[in-house]
Amino acid sequence: MVIPGPEFFITLIIYVMIFLIITLSYNLAYGYTGIPDFGRAMAAGAGGFICGYLPGRLMFYMLGFQGDYLENVYLVVDKINAVLFRNPLLSIALLIITILSGAVASAILGFLASLPILRGIRLFYLGVTLLAIQIGFNTIVYHWPQFIRGELGVPVPDPFKWLTYYSSSMISPGIMRSIGIIATSGVILALTIFYIISVSKSPLSRVLKAIRDDEISVAALGRDVRGLYVKVMVISYALTGAAGAIFALYQGYVVGLHFDRVEWTFWPIAMVILGGLANYKGTIAGTIFFITLKRLIIFYKAYLEPILPFSPIWAESLLLGLVLILTLIYRPRGLFPEKPETSLSRKEIEKIKREKIIQKF
Amino acid sequence: MISPLLQNAIVFANVISLMAISATLALSKTNVPNFAVATFGTIGIYVSFTYIKFFGIGLYPSLFFCFIFGGITGIIAYQAIIKPLRKRGATREEIMIATLGLDILLIALLNIYADYLTRTFKVMARDFTLSAYDFTIIGLSGVFVVSTLFLAAVLIALHLIFTKTNIGIALKAMGEDQSLAECQGVNTDLLCIITWFIVGALPATAGVFFSVNWISNPTISLFVVVSVFASCVLGGFSTIYDAALGSYIIAMTQVLLVPYIATIIGPWILPYGFLVALLIMVLTIIIFPQGLYGLPWDAIRERLRNFFNDISKYWRFKR
Repeated sequence: MVIPGPEFFITLIIYVMIFLIITLSYNLAYGYTGIPDFGRAMAAGAGGFICGYLPGRLMFYMLGFQGDYLENVYLVVDKINAVLFRNPLLSIALLIITILSGAVASAILGFLASLPILRGIRLFYLGVTLLAIQIGFNTIVYHWPQFIRGELGVPVPDPFKWLTYYSSSMISPGIMRSIGIIATSGVILALTIFYIISVSKSPLSRVLKAIRDDEISVAALGRDVRGLYVKVMVISYALTGAAGAIFALYQGYVVGLHFDRVEWTFWPIAMVILGGLANYKGTIAGTIFFITLKRLIIFYKAYLEPILPFSPIWAESLLLGLVLILTLIYRPRGLFPEKPETSLSRKEIEKIKREKIIQKF
Repeated sequence: MISPLLQNAIVFANVISLMAISATLALSKTNVPNFAVATFGTIGIYVSFTYIKFFGIGLYPSLFFCFIFGGITGIIAYQAIIKPLRKRGATREEIMIATLGLDILLIALLNIYADYLTRTFKVMARDFTLSAYDFTIIGLSGVFVVSTLFLAAVLIALHLIFTKTNIGIALKAMGEDQSLAECQGVNTDLLCIITWFIVGALPATAGVFFSVNWISNPTISLFVVVSVFASCVLGGFSTIYDAALGSYIIAMTQVLLVPYIATIIGPWILPYGFLVALLIMVLTIIIFPQGLYGLPWDAIRERLRNFFNDISKYWRFKR
């Protein structure tokens, strides 16, 4: 049996980083605030599909190419990549614009998706609606040839192309490109982790958890519950959109079939639930565990094929279904259960307790 | 005679109605949002396929086995997943995610079964229809007649059960407040088992009707589920009658209205057919979240009566 080589681990790191951004942002929506968002694939898709639509066209007009962009998309993207290869500053600017536009497109979708909350619908209805809207969103992209050519898809301009200039006999161009992707997703992931940790240590985290546990009581205390729902959705969608954009850049190609609900909604839900709700450490553990397992199944697919009486693809789905059900039944709080929130640190509480006891006597 | 397009629309409405009734029952009686409802339909398709291909049983006799197998699957889902979750006090959202897990698990098992059939028996177990096993009677397709009669029988039977029997009254009590019903001596566990038998059996039977007119495979439920939930939301997730009415509105719009619009604005709109269901669902949630059930029917009736009175007065005055 073949042992996974460095390429496997590089791919694994990229996948883990992209999915960590998604699961951490999903945990903010579901774990902290209790929004059952079953349309998360739509958020990643918005970021990814914008990546197939915007940067190519932007460069096409900027460089003054003639003709129809989609008709000559391969030729045009090749020429764009040749320009990007010689121009690191332009490449970095394009990378930033692409990720930002992906995040903004997803944030707008997040706002639209949270509109039913403003109408005061029950969260169960929201879950059903978002699942259905996500299916509709994918159908529109798939059957809309003018956008990203639906099932044919489009290549994405490569803003990491200039890095391949620095490749050597030791480091291949592919690895240089992967380093660029790891660095980019590392920056977004660091921002996400910083934001999530800041939220988890702030009073906002207690408000969000209180909304999750008893929405009416929080509203009775004067908090704008629906406004908070919308803000959480917008921020969470924006982060997921950025991850979707990075994934599209990594793949170098976007097809209308990408960003399906099993991969981009149900797997992240399983990762968050297994790790533990409202707990970033648990989410990180859950994501690393599942992504590693999934990549190993894909890596050893050829070896599993003769052993299993069915395609190993279904083993992945079986695993997902079983983990979701068994975790919810036997370990509902996940591997790292949520800790009780205290407004003061443990030390301060102990100090006050001691003072009270002294006062009593 | 009824046109084939209208027959197709009614068959689709019947399929969606049976699934929507199942989802509404699961939610209104046992407080479980069942995301696997459409996949129970796919189970029915494969049970029927197996009986027809390997036991030589006809399409409609196989309905009996689909009904029983679907019902048993429903009971297993309740006993193995829903009951333990409720015992530990899981929230509705958690149960919802568990049924999503069940949906994924069932789709995977159906795919494995389809792989097994293809590899072992060399039969085409994906992308098939059972139309070859259907019959025609006085210009009407068999599936149109049987599915309509079956839906009517189900509605009458459920109506009688809910209004005339002690089980129906107990089910209503359980739907209102399970703990209170238990205090009154109602065996809620038994009632849940009965409900989940129906919850599994109805969509499994509906799946067979679906596979007569449309191409079926293990993942077909992913496309049907939108129409089912749109029907449930339009119906208000409250009574079986509203679920059936909501399903008919959705199916007629999807199967009849969209092709009609396509003749006016072009065939490009056809792939977006099911988005109509989605649009109706979103509009329902935004405009009247309680669906057809929550509409002020008395006030509507009163207004309509006044409207027709005014019209008749106007005509009388004109004469």
